[in-house]
Amino acid sequence: MDSLGYLMDGFAVAFTARNLLLCFVGCLWGTAVGVLPGLGPLAGMALLLPLTFKLDPAGAVIMLAGIFNGAMYGGSTTSILMRIPGEAASVVTCIDGYEMAKRGRAGAALTLSAVGSFVGGTISIVGLMAVGPLLADAMLSVGPAAEFVLMLTALLVVSVVSSSPPVKTLAMIVLGLALGTVGMDQLTAWPRFTFGSLDLTDGLNFVALSIGLFGVSEILLNLDEATPAVPKAPRLREMLPTAQEIREAAPAVLRGSGVGFLFGLVPGVSHIISTFVSYAIEKKISKTPEKFGHGAVAGVAGPETANNATTGASMIPLLVLGIPAIPATAILLSALLIHGVQPGPLLMSEHPQVFWGLIASLYLGNAILVILNLPLVSIFVSLLRTPMGVLAPLVLVVCLIGVYSLKASPLDLAILVAAGVGGYLLRKFSYDVAPLLLAFVLGDRMELSFRRALTISDGDWWVFVQGPAARVFLVVLALIGGLQLAAMLLGWRRTGAAAP
Amino acid sequence: MLKGILGALALASTALVPLTAVAQDYPSRPVTLIVPAPPGGGTDVFARQIAEAVEPILKQKVIVDNRAGGGGTVGTTMISAAKPDGYTLGFVWNSPLTTSPHSLTVAYTPDSYASVMSIGYSSYVLCTAPDFPAATGKELIDAVKAAPGKYTYGNDGLGGTMQLAAERIFTKVGAKVRPVPFGGAGETARNFLGGHVTFYGGSLPPILPHAAAGKAKCLLLTSAARNPALPQAAGLDDIGLGSEETVLWWGLIAPARTPPEVLAKLEKAFMEAASTPAFKATMEKQGATQRVLGAKDTGALIRKELAALGEVAKAIGIERKAQ
Repeated sequence: MDSLGYLMDGFAVAFTARNLLLCFVGCLWGTAVGVLPGLGPLAGMALLLPLTFKLDPAGAVIMLAGIFNGAMYGGSTTSILMRIPGEAASVVTCIDGYEMAKRGRAGAALTLSAVGSFVGGTISIVGLMAVGPLLADAMLSVGPAAEFVLMLTALLVVSVVSSSPPVKTLAMIVLGLALGTVGMDQLTAWPRFTFGSLDLTDGLNFVALSIGLFGVSEILLNLDEATPAVPKAPRLREMLPTAQEIREAAPAVLRGSGVGFLFGLVPGVSHIISTFVSYAIEKKISKTPEKFGHGAVAGVAGPETANNATTGASMIPLLVLGIPAIPATAILLSALLIHGVQPGPLLMSEHPQVFWGLIASLYLGNAILVILNLPLVSIFVSLLRTPMGVLAPLVLVVCLIGVYSLKASPLDLAILVAAGVGGYLLRKFSYDVAPLLLAFVLGDRMELSFRRALTISDGDWWVFVQGPAARVFLVVLALIGGLQLAAMLLGWRRTGAAAP
Repeated sequence: MLKGILGALALASTALVPLTAVAQDYPSRPVTLIVPAPPGGGTDVFARQIAEAVEPILKQKVIVDNRAGGGGTVGTTMISAAKPDGYTLGFVWNSPLTTSPHSLTVAYTPDSYASVMSIGYSSYVLCTAPDFPAATGKELIDAVKAAPGKYTYGNDGLGGTMQLAAERIFTKVGAKVRPVPFGGAGETARNFLGGHVTFYGGSLPPILPHAAAGKAKCLLLTSAARNPALPQAAGLDDIGLGSEETVLWWGLIAPARTPPEVLAKLEKAFMEAASTPAFKATMEKQGATQRVLGAKDTGALIRKELAALGEVAKAIGIERKAQ
């Protein structure tokens, strides 16, 4: 085992006092930006990037990877406690995480997400080491046509499991797709629905939209009621998950790891897709699907694990090909280039201390984060002891500041407020806003892939069922079919057992 | 009441003092450098490094302020509209100045800002798969001319600088290659390596390791000169199209009515900071070439490039929309 020897060298790099400190600082800062609504991993890494100019390349990537990892851990906190997605990948966690908090299980939900994140993160790094180069080649074979089919399938999968009736789900998907068309069309350089605003050429801000739809709308809903059903702060002995909750979470964590790792290879939107798909799978195969949306443990543990498993996988294209698949790894690339280190096929042989040091620091970061996060659970949960009349305006202000801090754009604040009011109305009429957000994220990329594929094929529609696209489609279709079948079998067994 | 008026007068008189002394003492307080790009990208990295290099020369702090959006047009609008006192400057790349105005209605023209200097450039490159039947830049041009509309090339976005750079060459030689716009050079590289498009079109860094590993054959640069990092790639001078150079470059601009003495001071300071061997090394690490130009040359470059790319955009059917 050559790579095991290298990994030991990597740990030697990561375990120097300085790199250990950098990893810790990165994790701490990452947790902070993950917890704060608005600032996500991208902004957190970009803010500290100038600091890394002074470090050596290994130290620089160790710190930045720590931020990335930490933000993925921290994102779940506000989702669970206040139904505010700390970053895009935590949107799904809002659904059942917040419901758990309402029933006094906030501590359990936070603990399970932290442990799930640790397991998912660790499994994905093992995967990165074991099959990274192989998967990188597989990733290359996914062109625009396959990307389109894949995203379409993801959208279908998610719409099948939404909690509202199909017609309402469809309406939300269409609304999401429509909102996604705002901005400069990349294929014709034509601004769509921008009304002459240069700010809008980049499209509507996703962070503002998601915080508005989930967080602000929740605050408004609470104002509606004389005695709002706000989360209860659990007593100390209720902090830990019960045996029953652990039994429900364990398989979800393992499935989430697999889903997260595989979807980490989908460029651009891997974190958000993997969490939605993991949620869909858990709901589909659950024996109690009716619990989803009302505080299902697996609906928190699965997606939270998937989210962190994606982190390891998203490093593969960067380290093996030198190509960032998501914006956060683009910052890592930038940090490496500043030091004259070019990731790619030759990274492992030319800069082994960077490559293996990074891998080792990812393991280390995961351990640091789980140790850091578990004690924080009780501190975060005690926030819920704040009276609603104080907490709600405070949270609103934090949301506004968080969104403004991203681009200092007043337009983003308008989007936040509009999305909050819109989300309130939609939820009043019991529309599920999660499909809207997913459709918004995917819509833009789906359209681009679709038109790119047709440009490449020169208008030949067969491109969507030929070659790699067809293979991807068949695999996913088989997966969905298999799950459907499994659910049916489980259903039979249950009704069979229930029968006298 | 009287007290209020006196107070206001006192305030006004103190406010007048720095105005008259502006040019001599400049800079007497920190200077803000607006960067119309998000933190972490190439432009941001150069901006931060030039800011650091110029601080000891100006003997003042230079604060980088990222104002991303609209492909750099949002930040560039802010720079043009800023108070022309020399305390708000802009570090930009050429796209918002010479490319975006052809597809977007922007509130600035080359008359709304003063070009101060530029630091250098980075070429774009066209690469093919190793088995493509061409071995030189000349043969590449012959191959695409022989088969109009057959091949595809990935680029950084329709109407973007990279696409216009390539189309400028293609229109000149009368070739037709179908553009496939991607979100950036990394995405283009991925789709090129996967065999989904015939040519890679984009900046050097993402493709260099693959060219070194024999997975890509880089044949033609969009700069007039060759590049030592890709010795086999022809420059436009080699195929007789040197005057059609379009590259990615970076420079310093200021609001139009900034006092000339301040502009002269800035030009001198930034040129000095950008001309050091250390800054040259910084640029080379990012695949860029140091080429320090003063205010006059930079201004001429902007106007020439704006006109040339406008013609290309028109030729391939990109027009500015009434909004």
